[in-house]
Amino acid sequence: MSIDRRSFFKFLGITGLTVIGLKSSGENTTPEDDSEFYGVLYDSSICIGCRACEKACAKAHGLPEPEDELEAGIKRKTSENQRCVINAFETDEGEVYVRNQCMHCNEPACVAACLTQAMYKTKEGPVIWREEKCMGCRYCMVSCPFDVPKFEYGSTNPKIQKCDMCYDRIKNGEIPVCVKTCGDALFFGTRRELISEARRRIAEWPEMYIEDIYGEHTVGGTGYLYLAPVSHKELGFDIKLQKNSYPSLTKSFLYSVPAVDVLVPSVLLGLHAATKVKQTKTENYE
Amino acid sequence: MNSPAYPITKEKQSQPVWKFILSELKPRGKWLTPFNVISLPIILAGITLMAIRFTHGLGAVSNVTQEIPWGLWKGFNVVTGVAFAGGAYVLTFIVYILKVDKFHSIVRATVLNGFLAYLFYTFALVLDLGKPWNIFNPVIGNNYGVSSVLFLVAWHFILYILGLLIEFSPAVAEWLGSKRAHKILSGLTLGAVIFGVTLSVLHQSGLGALFLMAKGKIHPLWYSEFIPLLFLVSSVFAGLSMIIFEGAISQRVFFKQISRKNHEARKDMLKILSRICAFTMFIYFFLQLLVLIHGQHWSYLNTPMGYWYLLEMVGFVFIPMLLFIRSFQKPNIVLTRVAAIMAIVGIILNRLNVSIIAFRWDAAVRYVPSWMEIVISISIILIQIWIFRWIITRMPVLNESPGFAKIHKQAGNHYISK
Amino acid sequence: MDGFSYTNIFETKGIEYLTIIAFFAVLVPFWFIVSRKPKRKVAATGSNQIISAASLRIPQGIFFSKFHTWAHMEESGNAKVGLDDLLVHITGDVEISQLKSPAEYIEKGEVLAVLRYNGNSLKILSPISGEIENINSTLNENPEIIRADPYRLGWIYAIKPTNWKAETNSYFLAEDATTWAVQELKRFKDFLAISASATMPQPVGVILQDGGELMEKPLAEFPQEIWDDFQKNFLS
Repeated sequence: MSIDRRSFFKFLGITGLTVIGLKSSGENTTPEDDSEFYGVLYDSSICIGCRACEKACAKAHGLPEPEDELEAGIKRKTSENQRCVINAFETDEGEVYVRNQCMHCNEPACVAACLTQAMYKTKEGPVIWREEKCMGCRYCMVSCPFDVPKFEYGSTNPKIQKCDMCYDRIKNGEIPVCVKTCGDALFFGTRRELISEARRRIAEWPEMYIEDIYGEHTVGGTGYLYLAPVSHKELGFDIKLQKNSYPSLTKSFLYSVPAVDVLVPSVLLGLHAATKVKQTKTENYE
Repeated sequence: MNSPAYPITKEKQSQPVWKFILSELKPRGKWLTPFNVISLPIILAGITLMAIRFTHGLGAVSNVTQEIPWGLWKGFNVVTGVAFAGGAYVLTFIVYILKVDKFHSIVRATVLNGFLAYLFYTFALVLDLGKPWNIFNPVIGNNYGVSSVLFLVAWHFILYILGLLIEFSPAVAEWLGSKRAHKILSGLTLGAVIFGVTLSVLHQSGLGALFLMAKGKIHPLWYSEFIPLLFLVSSVFAGLSMIIFEGAISQRVFFKQISRKNHEARKDMLKILSRICAFTMFIYFFLQLLVLIHGQHWSYLNTPMGYWYLLEMVGFVFIPMLLFIRSFQKPNIVLTRVAAIMAIVGIILNRLNVSIIAFRWDAAVRYVPSWMEIVISISIILIQIWIFRWIITRMPVLNESPGFAKIHKQAGNHYISK
Repeated sequence: MDGFSYTNIFETKGIEYLTIIAFFAVLVPFWFIVSRKPKRKVAATGSNQIISAASLRIPQGIFFSKFHTWAHMEESGNAKVGLDDLLVHITGDVEISQLKSPAEYIEKGEVLAVLRYNGNSLKILSPISGEIENINSTLNENPEIIRADPYRLGWIYAIKPTNWKAETNSYFLAEDATTWAVQELKRFKDFLAISASATMPQPVGVILQDGGELMEKPLAEFPQEIWDDFQKNFLS
């Protein structure tokens, strides 16, 4: 009978999927010590805009050295050849420099968006891109509120280019090359350490800093934290970003999927049964 | 057990399979119709450009940027095309669940259309991938990105295509004359329909949910947390309008295949479809109004993007709704078709707005599709039409099924009642 | 500043999807269990399992033909045809094979269907001419419907008649039908008595119970020749 056949195949399917599912979904991003993500504190008040970090980053990752000059008013961006970028801003406190790169969010939009888990939040904290899984759909680019991932449109085997906080070095106990090269404006540690260091600086030199740490709560908290001498708005930060993580925006939809999967077939079966009676009746009275 | 349309002649039965298929591949009808003459060069150009896309990378044919990564293929072929293919789930719901037999004669053509549409739009999706050879990763488990809406949409596409295939397979069984296969497949229809409607509800709204994380990047008049719901509701009248539009064309092109009884039935169907469209558009319009009020974005209405929004809502949702109402109050087929075309334009506008026009509307470099993208986009649709035509002229889709099929159909209606 | 603790809001998504797949698998058999109708006992003639003139069902608004098939015109313009009660009780648990398909033509007196039991067969002739509009497919799965409700749910074909008036002119309706049916029952008893004594020396317990009444399914035990005889005398 067709019933049994169907059940049989579905049973096969469940067993198979259970095996695969348990294996792969177990790779979810639940770190053992989930309050100790690594991050980087960037101090805009100290940064002198020497761009040594840009050059070190390019060298370490085999990318061309950025050649264009800094100019206040012109916004430079990361690209498929550049992972981090310094921008200059003209403010009341003089020329202020701001570094832009991947923010390594606590709950990244790109990680939730990636359907193959190519974008991956490691348990140490950095968000990395795994080449062998990526299919180049660019959904991470659509979702990222900071427009960070950049795509190699000109290549037949395109990469996604973005800062990965030198994850390979972190795993070996070292620090990212930009932090190593700079030493002053960049500071590496766990998020807890960074925030307490940032608070310390604000308390000790209140005339140098504004109170807010950008990234502390933005989009649910990010790995990169920013100290700034003037308001964030003047430094090109997006201040309209929400305090909740971006994946929480899809929460209500994704949560409703199992409920819909259970309710809709049931309602349809009910309708079918109800109209079936009507149909056999009308057939006989034709 | 022979039917006049498909006599199972001795020759047909004794031919080996490959010879049969080969003979079916031969074209029927005239070669030099206006449609063929226009579409063939476009298709050839499209295929050439697709080859270039693979040998030279996406950037060679497409104008997508780092800030606007999704272009015409995803925005038009996938997101908009799928809305139009929604006719399949609405119509199978009406015919197989609500048992409104009146629509029986067009359900097959609609399911076929849906099947081809999803198949080709999956192809368009593959075309738009940077590394399409990795497309099997989310299927085989390398890895399952279960938090992703796109993961959900992709899986639903695959499962729904299978469901549509099962729904359409009885027609193939009739074409090949295999009664046993036909009986089995007809029994699976109800399950496939229920499965299909469930999947459709989720992926039509899922296509909308894709853009939920683009908050701030999509213009506030089009972005809200209700995008999935709006996409779902609009897919209903999008699908039905497309049925009306295609029905008008098929009726003329495949005139000889449709029996006189079915020609008459179509007029009745049009009246009912226009009622359903009018009602759904009414609901959709009010939902949009609610969203507008809830988001408190009416100050945006007085901007260029605001005018564009009003044009889409009033010009291509509200007005076609009025036309639909007019067209069934005083039955007027031409008016129904005009309303359907306007509704179709409205859906195209809405989907393109959310995905590429209102998406980063403030970017320094706006996205305008290149001519190559447009050619590829159109050629995908044209190839789909060619295959549709091939199937319609050979399989019992628009014309009557052979005798044994009708017996199975009646049996199928009672199979659960044991 | 306190430590930050990270929770994955989609942690159980994988397991949930697997549960849904399991749900679908279980839903199918569960639905069948829920919608299964209790097995209906096939209604016997009275409960004493005899065929008598009183227990024969003869609806008054139906045309009976001499082939022991009935025809009834419906609102839609189609006529349903089927077997009459006497024939149904005489033949018993038969298999009925429908010979015609929708859209085919049939003439009055042409073979409509074949009844089979244990290798014996009877040809059923059509009471009217016309185009077959519909066949009753439930007979394939639930053949007991013919015996339970031979005039309504047990219809065999829906025919669009081409010559209704002329053909049904000679048929039995209302009281004529009842009279004819009683006569046919008597004629059949006589036929049985003659056939039985011709083929089998011992009277089988089928006929001539106390009071000379007929048991259910009398033809079941007889060989094909008796069936052929029955065909010639009653169904043609």
